[in-house]
Amino acid sequence: MSNLVQGVRKELWSPYAAGILLGVVGVLAVWLSDSLLGASGAFENLAGMIGKALAPQVFNVMYFNFIMPAGITWGVILLLGIILGGGLGALSSRTFKLRWNTDDAQWKAIFGPQLWKRWLLVFLGAIVLEYGAGIAGGCTSGLAISGGMLLAPAAFLFIAAMFMSGILTAFVVYRRRY
Amino acid sequence: MLNYFLALILGAFFGFSLNKAGLTRYSKIVNVFRFTDMAVLKFMMTALVVSMAGLYTLRGLGLITFPNVPATYVVGNLVGGLIFGVGMALVGL
Repeated sequence: MSNLVQGVRKELWSPYAAGILLGVVGVLAVWLSDSLLGASGAFENLAGMIGKALAPQVFNVMYFNFIMPAGITWGVILLLGIILGGGLGALSSRTFKLRWNTDDAQWKAIFGPQLWKRWLLVFLGAIVLEYGAGIAGGCTSGLAISGGMLLAPAAFLFIAAMFMSGILTAFVVYRRRY
Repeated sequence: MLNYFLALILGAFFGFSLNKAGLTRYSKIVNVFRFTDMAVLKFMMTALVVSMAGLYTLRGLGLITFPNVPATYVVGNLVGGLIFGVGMALVGL
């Protein structure tokens, strides 16, 4: 028993073990809630909600009315759960820490340790990423995993495209350090 | 209401698994694109295989029906994926 507790508390699990947990959660989401896991859609629901409050006319379009309805959806609550669960995971391994900058040595070696660089790049990168997810119809979780487990062709097209441009981008950023 | 409660619990386990796989770190995400750390792929593909097997078994037993399958529109899926990959490899989200 104490071995199991120790195993759960480890900072990093084998990716296979963590993957099995996510797979089970994916099945339960369909079984219990008739929903698919996803993260990027929730940001669009929230953006739509804020947009409708600030500029109702501009945001009264098909996209925010029907495709990605504005408001507190199942996905938004799921996103809250993800943040909560991520925190619990860090607490369980006693690595929880509030920070403004990243502790990632690799990031610092590539982009430098400056706080503004981290914030600016993450902000711009997240815009690119969310925009892409909006066009494709989901992100790594909502389309690649949730779509893939239903054998949707879209998921496999997305995975292929994502790795193609991801590998190229990493190559451009890292050059000789690749 | 129950459905929202379920979303919170399922999300918590989702976030927990992401944290334990190390996918909350920049280096884990970007290194899969450099072929130096395949954790992302191992994690994703394991989750895919487990949930595929589970879902198709449950459907075969008549216990569940599938929700709306994500739509396939080839050009959109591909272009979106290409843009998405740039952001993902740049900042490791």
